[in-house]
Amino acid sequence: MNQHGRFGPTRPITLKILRYKPGFIDPPRYDTFQVQADPLMTVLDALEEIKATADSTLLYRHSCHHASCGTCGMKVNGREQLACVARLVDEGTDEVVVEPLGSAPLVADLVVDMTPFALHMAPSGMALVRDSEFMPEAERPAGVERYTRYEDCIECNICLSACPVANTNPGFIGPAGLAAAYRALVTGERPAAEVFAYVDHDDGVWRCHSAMECSAVCPSDVQPGHKIMALRRELVAYKVKRFFKRG
Amino acid sequence: MAVPIQQKSTGARALQAWFNPLKRSAGFLAFVLMRVTGIGLVIYLLLHMVVIGNLLRGPEGWDALVATMKSPAVLVLDVILIAGILIHMLNGIRVTIIGLGFGTSSHKGIFWTLMAVAALLLAYSGWLVFTK
Amino acid sequence: MRTASIEEKRRSGVWVWQAITGVLLVILLSLHMIVHHFVVEGGLRTYQQVLDYVGNPLVVAVEILFLVTVTYHAMLGVRAILFDLNLSESQKALVTRVLTVLGVVVVAWGVFLALALFRAANA
Repeated sequence: MNQHGRFGPTRPITLKILRYKPGFIDPPRYDTFQVQADPLMTVLDALEEIKATADSTLLYRHSCHHASCGTCGMKVNGREQLACVARLVDEGTDEVVVEPLGSAPLVADLVVDMTPFALHMAPSGMALVRDSEFMPEAERPAGVERYTRYEDCIECNICLSACPVANTNPGFIGPAGLAAAYRALVTGERPAAEVFAYVDHDDGVWRCHSAMECSAVCPSDVQPGHKIMALRRELVAYKVKRFFKRG
Repeated sequence: MAVPIQQKSTGARALQAWFNPLKRSAGFLAFVLMRVTGIGLVIYLLLHMVVIGNLLRGPEGWDALVATMKSPAVLVLDVILIAGILIHMLNGIRVTIIGLGFGTSSHKGIFWTLMAVAALLLAYSGWLVFTK
Repeated sequence: MRTASIEEKRRSGVWVWQAITGVLLVILLSLHMIVHHFVVEGGLRTYQQVLDYVGNPLVVAVEILFLVTVTYHAMLGVRAILFDLNLSESQKALVTRVLTVLGVVVVAWGVFLALALFRAANA
């Protein structure tokens, strides 16, 4: 029953979506919807189609549609992705399960509360800027001293959702917050002592057990797991140096 | 065409994240293995301390106990124990190295290499356990 | 960077100890396994074999060092797992206290056992 869509042949894909509305759909349940997916249809495209044609009460967050705002992170077949760039057919399954991110309080349907994420990011002074790595030869308009570039991190909460520790311990600063702290350290944005004071405790850099799943799922190549490890190396070196200075 | 399916609770799913490596990558599998073997080894340590307490019962008590330890079922448990030790030990080397910020970019290769070493050592130990 | 709320939390280099004892254990546990199971043909089995082995003071010293290291490593590991559960500061303190007691009991029992066997071997 393949039809031809805008971008090639379509095939029917069932979306199994977690639904939750406090007091109405409570406890949560899964609803299924069928869409005709062409090769380029993303999870977000499907959600928008469902909302427009089947169930206008479906709730999800989105903004830019091109992986730069970090708003539409969700679990697609159990793995965190940005819905706007996750193609349905790439999943390779006839049924695609769509669930809200973990490690964040569920608000409704696919919407989670981003407050805890923001609270763990804020102390590092995000968003940081760094020197542009592109086109050093580019001409600068009058009045522009230098080109800068925002951090890679798009603050989507995907790393925290994939982190086994953050799932059970909301007090853990988490991959994004620790990666931001590392950036604050290496860019000199914050004094080293201040950064280390912020991360050197049970719920800081030492809570990480190196599962590295944050790096594996990060849609923006921040590699937070790698940054946490690097932050530890700097911290241990700092402590060793301080120990010998004192002694 | 909204079709509600069965009700399913989403509560208490966080803990499952500790032990479910499905859909996850090598580092996560390493984490799960580390946790499972770690818990197992702590239980074994406590049991081991209780068992060797039987040495206080003198030669008769101890030798009778050791005789029961030679059954194939116990030998299989021995091999499981050795597997746990090898996985935890070799994975621990990975955690130590990358946990200090070295070789982080090749952590998956390090993991699979160490697990291959674990498999070889396990095969050798298994052979020793059942033939010696 | 706000650190005021964090300052009450204890600085923690415990992970480093976990790593140090871990590295030590690679040596000590390998030694323990090889000596117990592969040096004597068929491994230490009979009461007399065990006694002959434990009669050596160096062996007792190494075994006790191994026991202390493995127990400390194990208790730190359990602590690390429990601390992943979003415990309050007082719960964390309780976990640390309980595990410290458990660790001390395990080591004390092992030392008592080793010394009792050492005495029996050299009686």
